[in-house]
Amino acid sequence: MGDSHAYDVLVVGGGATGAGVLRDLARRGLRTLLIERDDFGTGTTGRYHGLLHSGGRYVAKDALAARECIAENRILRRIAPASIEDTGGYFVATPDDPDDYVDGFQAACAAADVDCEEIPVADAFRAEPALNPRIRRVFRLPDGSVEPWQLIESNVADARAHGSDAWTYQRLVGMERDGGRIVSATLRDERSGSVTRITPRFVVSCAGAWSGQIAAMVDVTVTMHPGKGTMLIFNQRMTDTVVNRCHKSSDGDIMVPVHTVAILGTTEQRVEDPDRYEITRDEVAALIREGEKLFPDLGRMRLLRAYAGVRPLYQPPAEVTAAAMKDGRQISRAHTVIDHDAMDGVENFVTIVGGKLTTFRRMAEDTVDLVCAKLGVTEPCTTADAILPNQVPGKTYWLGHRLAEHEAEGGGDADLLCECEFVTRPMLDDFLDRHPGCSIDDVRRGTRIGMGPCQGGFCTFRAAGLVGERARRVGAADVAESADRAILGFLRERFKGTRPIAAGRQLQEQWMISGVYEGGLGVRSLIEHETPEASREVVDVHR
Amino acid sequence: MSTADVVVIGAGLAGLTAAIRVAESGARVHVLAKGHAATHWGPGGIDVAGIPAASTPRDGIRRLAGEPGHPYAFLGDDVAAALEWIRPHLAAGGVEYLGDLDTPLGLVPTSIGGTRRAAILPAGQAAALAPWAVGERLIICGIRGFKDFWPEAIAASLARERIWEGGNRPTSVTAVSVVLPGLAPRHNLNALTIAGRFDDPAWRATAIEAIARAVGSVPGSGGRVALPAVLGIREHAAILAALQKRLPAAPFEMPLVPPSVPGIRLYTALRAAVIRAGGRVQIGEMIERVEHDGRRVTAVVSAAAVRTYTVRTGALVLATGGIAGGGLVAERDGRLLEPLLGLTVEAPPADDWLLVDAFDPAGHPLELAGIRTDAELRPVAADGASLFDNVRVAGSLLAGQRYVRDRCGDGVALTSGWRAARSLTAVPAGHAAEPGSERP
Ligand SMILES: Cc1cc2nc3c(=O)[nH]c(=O)nc-3n(C[C@H](O)[C@H](O)[C@H](O)COP(=O)(O)OP(=O)(O)OC[C@H]3O[C@@H](n4cnc5c(N)ncnc54)[C@H](O)[C@@H]3O)c2cc1C
Ligand SMILES: Cc1cc2nc3c(=O)[nH]c(=O)nc-3n(C[C@H](O)[C@H](O)[C@H](O)COP(=O)(O)OP(=O)(O)OC[C@H]3O[C@@H](n4cnc5c(N)ncnc54)[C@H](O)[C@@H]3O)c2cc1C
Repeated sequence: MGDSHAYDVLVVGGGATGAGVLRDLARRGLRTLLIERDDFGTGTTGRYHGLLHSGGRYVAKDALAARECIAENRILRRIAPASIEDTGGYFVATPDDPDDYVDGFQAACAAADVDCEEIPVADAFRAEPALNPRIRRVFRLPDGSVEPWQLIESNVADARAHGSDAWTYQRLVGMERDGGRIVSATLRDERSGSVTRITPRFVVSCAGAWSGQIAAMVDVTVTMHPGKGTMLIFNQRMTDTVVNRCHKSSDGDIMVPVHTVAILGTTEQRVEDPDRYEITRDEVAALIREGEKLFPDLGRMRLLRAYAGVRPLYQPPAEVTAAAMKDGRQISRAHTVIDHDAMDGVENFVTIVGGKLTTFRRMAEDTVDLVCAKLGVTEPCTTADAILPNQVPGKTYWLGHRLAEHEAEGGGDADLLCECEFVTRPMLDDFLDRHPGCSIDDVRRGTRIGMGPCQGGFCTFRAAGLVGERARRVGAADVAESADRAILGFLRERFKGTRPIAAGRQLQEQWMISGVYEGGLGVRSLIEHETPEASREVVDVHR
Repeated sequence: MSTADVVVIGAGLAGLTAAIRVAESGARVHVLAKGHAATHWGPGGIDVAGIPAASTPRDGIRRLAGEPGHPYAFLGDDVAAALEWIRPHLAAGGVEYLGDLDTPLGLVPTSIGGTRRAAILPAGQAAALAPWAVGERLIICGIRGFKDFWPEAIAASLARERIWEGGNRPTSVTAVSVVLPGLAPRHNLNALTIAGRFDDPAWRATAIEAIARAVGSVPGSGGRVALPAVLGIREHAAILAALQKRLPAAPFEMPLVPPSVPGIRLYTALRAAVIRAGGRVQIGEMIERVEHDGRRVTAVVSAAAVRTYTVRTGALVLATGGIAGGGLVAERDGRLLEPLLGLTVEAPPADDWLLVDAFDPAGHPLELAGIRTDAELRPVAADGASLFDNVRVAGSLLAGQRYVRDRCGDGVALTSGWRAARSLTAVPAGHAAEPGSERP
């Protein structure tokens, strides 16, 4: 931890938004500290659908959001190509989609400046043979998929290069207010329990669905409407192109190819507490029923797991209507920068809520413009022009990149630890070198180990072995404990994702893996006899 | 089209045991399986009742037999007979099993640095079981470049008292790694590749020397050496004997993640016994349909890509395993089906299948799901009425057992397979033998 705690700005929340705000503040010369209660990207940013929006999903209902999406889509392709796979997107008209929506779609795109081209249906079927043959019309838009963790890392790296800091596992537990000013903030180290007090000049809350909790620390009300969305991961890329239904956005109407898998989403359901929600079997069944309108064979494909995230939906108090309460989709996806000076009389506090991952940079720019105005800083925003660190201009991600890089270095046997995602031992070693003290979950997010079709059944155990070997080499005291945590944590997490979808081949696979670990490997003997570590969120089957 | 007296569906411990015994009675037996079984995934021992409360397998059987609906309630008395019957068959196939129902259950160290309860083990693993003497050391010997066995991590874990439930354990645990000839520059070594190399006598002579040097480099004397379970397939007994002779400490194998080499040896020995007794084993036959005429099964049909294959039969042993084997199939709507005969599946409602924590000590209710039978292993309906006269159910498909958690799956599979065969081949007074009676 840095010795000087003299920061201009404290940013709370290490999701995409917080990382973007940190970067922008740092580039404008403000010494900033970002804190995140867990690892980066463990909030909504790590549990989202993975779509780089073209804006097509919003053209009819929320033209402002659509316009922002396409503008940021173009910028992100330029500044963060390695985090993006340029899959392209289809908006397809199935027999269930209303003609008037389909007929007006191109005009609506044009009005919002979203590139849209109608292509012959036969071309789409040739490119994506798994599509429903009854699809009548297809439009092509510049959708993509975007990897959140690498994106956050790049933003943080840029901020660090500009003299700012970012700390993980630091939870904001309180702020002290003296009249109209926040005078200090108290952080708790979530691993050691130690407490730090800092005295920033300004506080920006980027806590997403948790923003209400942060504001409440200084007696300010920010009413969030956390909206849970559930997604299903399939064990194969049945499509290489993002596929959307061409209709008013709804449940189960979009499939996003992400690395070696494809993800169907989403749903929308109000939840009271963003840390506690459940996934029901009915919800899973309904998603599949809708998804079958895009890919008729979906019901027969193997599901790997279900997961959910909570949207940071917000509406200014006056506009909260009964209708919006009923259907979360009617709240604008466009973001709101809340100036707590004007609203609540706290002069050095701003909250940024709403938005999308796609627009995180723009959200940051709007927020930092306001902060700078208040602090008398006149530096302009440069985040749209400067390419992020660890990114090569024009080089977007593609599925075969790891294999290609390996081949370029001479190929041959690769010392693969994770066959599904092509993670080699040197890659894992390198990650561990760069992230001392990281958890196996951090490893998973950082390398994608265990995220492919076997869902960590084999590679987790290898990753744990390597972690143990390295810890032993440096004489660490808790070698065995960290390996235990790796194995148990991973198996628990895997099980949790399987539970709401327990059926067919995925249940069979789950049974085999638990048979291996519990039978021959005696995994239960590793469990310390105490209550399992309370998990951050409860994703659970309704009972 | 072909014809058999008895068709066995499933090539796991249950199905192959049944097949050996049926074949030895002189009947024509035909084993059909879509693929390999739990043998290839499991540790290759014969777990009869490895529950924490039990002192010996016999004690464990008694305790499990007292639980409501456990198959040991009607199979328990036959476990000893089935075990003693199978032992020479396995030995003839090159795998000797040590231990019996009165061997104390002990904690055996595993390749993730944990322990599991066992009493009956193949000779290659048996050295792990004896009580540890004061001062006795354990050396974990890994193979450089092999990614399914991490000696440092295993040793660090096994050095902890709690892994041994606070009881008897080695005094020290040390890790070493050995470079085996020709393997070092190769990556992606898997257990089967290495086992294959061990079967080669010239290669293994050098390998054993290398292992002996690595083990010899650890200060101290005596104790035991844990090696990954890769010590050959065909030549395993010879390899084990050579290592026992050459090493300063007693060697034993630690089972690994699949494919399980000890399990493959077990499967190979069982299969060989079926064939020696005159039976047939065909892997790669996915049975899609079983035909029956009222209460009697008449034929099984497999639908391969290019042809359908029908075997007419006088009787059927259904040993298709549980959820892992494919004998039970869970539908998305929450039904649990036995897909071949549509037998009544005893199962909790879908919302109660799985508990929240993967490792909840209570065990998931779904583990108990399966087919109910009468004491002759004939499947019964919910009201207890038997459904088919010439069908027997064996193995993990039987309801009422937590085969992994309670470590009773092998005992149930072995004994039910053995009993199913007896039931089908016994000649009740005044009747023709059941299989023969249907010979077309
Ligand atoms: C189901 C679903 C699908 C989505 N799909 C897409 C999509 O395809 N494309 C797209 O562009 N957008 C999508 N979104 C929207 C997008 O994911 C979010 O808008 C975006 O990730 C929000 O990022 P954030 O940084 O604002 O919030 P978060 O990522 O939630 O970050 C907030 C952080 O604050 C931290 N925090 C909370 N309390 C404290 C505290 N006291 N101290 C310290 N830290 C704290 C949390 O741990 C968290 O990491 C989706 C959202 C959902 C729910
Ligand atoms: C990974 C794993 C580890 C285990 N570890 C242990 C342990 O440590 N201790 C323990 O006591 N028990 C363990 N068990 C339980 C194990 O299932 C039993 O011990 C026993 O081996 C089961 O044998 P079985 O013959 O009943 O079934 P299985 O071994 O499951 O065999 C089923 C057979 O049926 C075939 N089959 C299924 N459907 C069809 C069809 N339609 N057509 C053709 N063939 C079909 C399969 O291909 C397979 O050959 C484990 C199980 C698994 C899956």
